[in-house]
Amino acid sequence: MIRYALRYLNLMVLTLLVLSVVSFALAYWFPGDPLTNLSGIQEATPQTERFLAEKYATEHNLFVQYWHYMQLVFSGDWGVSFSSGLPLYDEITLALPATLELCAYAFLLSLIVGIPLGFIAGLKHYTGTDYTVLSLSVFSYSIPAFWLALILILIFCLQLGWLPLSGRINLLFDVPHQTGFIVIDILLSDIQNKSAALNDAFRHLVLPTISIALINTAITVRLARRSIIDVMSKGYIIAARSRGLTNNQILWKHGVRNTLLPILPLIAAQITTLITNAMVIETIFSWPGIGNWLIQAIYQRDYPAIRAGMLAVSSFVVILTVSIELITRLLDPTRDKNERGTI
Amino acid sequence: MPMLDIKNLTLEIDTPVGWVKALDRINLTLEKGEVRALVGESGSGKSLIVRAIVGSVPDNWRLTADRLSWKGESLLSMNAEQRRKIMRKEIAVVFQNPQASLDPSATLGDQLEESIPAHLLAGKWFWQRNAERKALASKVLHKVGIKDHQDCLQKFPHEVARDVNHKMMIAMALVSEPELLIADDPTRGMEATTKVQLLKLLTRMNQTKELSILFISHDLLAISSMANTMTVLYCGQTVESGKMKQLRKRPLHPYTKALLDSAPSFRKELPVKSDLSALDGTIPTLQHLPIGCRLGPRCPRAQKECVKVPAVRRIHEHYYSCHYPLHRDKL
Ligand SMILES: Nc1ncnc2c1ncn2[C@@H]1O[C@H](COP(=O)(O)OP(=O)(O)OP(=O)(O)O)[C@@H](O)[C@H]1O
Ligand code: SF4
Ligand SMILES: [Mg+2]
Repeated sequence: MIRYALRYLNLMVLTLLVLSVVSFALAYWFPGDPLTNLSGIQEATPQTERFLAEKYATEHNLFVQYWHYMQLVFSGDWGVSFSSGLPLYDEITLALPATLELCAYAFLLSLIVGIPLGFIAGLKHYTGTDYTVLSLSVFSYSIPAFWLALILILIFCLQLGWLPLSGRINLLFDVPHQTGFIVIDILLSDIQNKSAALNDAFRHLVLPTISIALINTAITVRLARRSIIDVMSKGYIIAARSRGLTNNQILWKHGVRNTLLPILPLIAAQITTLITNAMVIETIFSWPGIGNWLIQAIYQRDYPAIRAGMLAVSSFVVILTVSIELITRLLDPTRDKNERGTI
Repeated sequence: MPMLDIKNLTLEIDTPVGWVKALDRINLTLEKGEVRALVGESGSGKSLIVRAIVGSVPDNWRLTADRLSWKGESLLSMNAEQRRKIMRKEIAVVFQNPQASLDPSATLGDQLEESIPAHLLAGKWFWQRNAERKALASKVLHKVGIKDHQDCLQKFPHEVARDVNHKMMIAMALVSEPELLIADDPTRGMEATTKVQLLKLLTRMNQTKELSILFISHDLLAISSMANTMTVLYCGQTVESGKMKQLRKRPLHPYTKALLDSAPSFRKELPVKSDLSALDGTIPTLQHLPIGCRLGPRCPRAQKECVKVPAVRRIHEHYYSCHYPLHRDKL
């Protein structure tokens, strides 16, 4: 078991190493002076320049430079942004939670809707219900997320005017930043009109969450359906039926767990797709998340921001993927724990 | 009136070449306290009969029967709830593949305890019933010969040896104190000593509790020591059935004879190094069923007449379906 976890950690560390090297190399590959790209400080005085050169060890060879760079990365000094002049670490830790919040709700929504729908379709497979659910899921799967977002905006914001068009919360509410999750921050804060703020935050969340969740819901439906059809024809289900268990007992005691165990890793692996989609959708809804932030950085040729943002996002995704994989394997009693670690 | 009564059971399966009769007018009866052997080559449809009795045939198969009744009540016309109750209390099944019949994600203890029907528990409160379940579970585990039962109950199926799973399946069938036990090849792959133990256990249950057993097996030797009656199946048709003794002494159907002869220990004086006399060829697949008597292509006695399905004939309690049975002289 330990060996197994180590194998995964090994894989993760190696990947992160490569990512950090690439991010360091970006400073050289981007146009302009590498030192400026690393620190983010433009038009520095000779004095600052000397200070920076020492900080990033530019007169030493590349390995030493990389070593210094990594030390700075771990100490949270990621340089400053060209465009705002603020520390990148602060900007990213402000933007990333906003994206994660969106992803978390979209993921939950896709589970809450997708799994039961998939179960219903699978239990009644080859009936009208099944075909309806299946065609709906194929349909949803083929809608590009950004297009759906635009259609939703067109209908619910512009035509009907029910929901806000952009942003995370009305600027009237001044919610102090704590966890970065707006809903939790509102609950933790002591502003006066909490329920109004909460309501407003939810109204802002509805459309982006749906736009992101739709594709994942469609995938979840299909995974759950396929899996439960397989499980319900298994020998142990037939054996359970022959023991005279009721349909409900069979479903809850033997069906659900065996259906979910093999697909949980697959569903969890969708989170990365979800994050990618979220980053696209953010720009449409002007959601102050990391995707939006990165796009702005690219528009403005803000090289330090692109470098740091890319490193932060990719490291996060790698760590998340490996942890999910590890956890789902640890949880599954039926899985052979000696399989090779793969991503 | 027989307890289990099956008459002209036909099961049709939709294959790529059209509907085929995987079971063709099967007849089978079982009295209370009777042990009936059901034998036949691999692929002759023994497990399909079990599935038909249990009621787990897929919706897209066609199941018809003149009679498929349990204690006089038709299993086919009763509703799902009545049938479920019968399966819960009165009939228990040991499926052929014990490994596949256990839920891989539930502990053996959970699965054993859930096989105990409520009517065996007297306790009023759930903790009393839980304790009773635990007691019943360890009792039955002792019976089937699992010693360290406390340890075993905590385990998942993949964590214990195959034969423990195998015994577990038998324990799960016996724990509900059924009236009929359907055992599909329960001794397959068992060690000799374990096999003897199991046969002894079943014989004892049969004698003390009047447990009826439908014993499906390839092991003619094991089966003949405990069965009272035997039904021989070939390619989805019942070819012969009757008292065990009579069938052994004087089989009437060419297939039964071939089957008995192929089990070496059955022949009294086996000439040194003689061929084991089984029939030539192999059992046809469902896609290539011969018309008429399905044994036709392999039968040493086959004649023109055999392209018509032979009717069931009977001499006392002995039934056979053959145009040219062995008691008629060579034609
Ligand atoms: N699910 C299925 N779909 C299609 N054909 C099937 C299915 N199950 C069994 N059959 C066919 O039905 C025939 C009888 O199978 P069955 O499993 O009852 O044989 P059996 O007598 O139990 O053999 P064995 O002694 O090997 O257990 C075989 O030809 C098999 O191919
Ligand atoms: S009916 Fe004909 S083919 Fe069939 S067993 Fe009898 S003799 Fe052989
Ligand atoms: Mg079988």
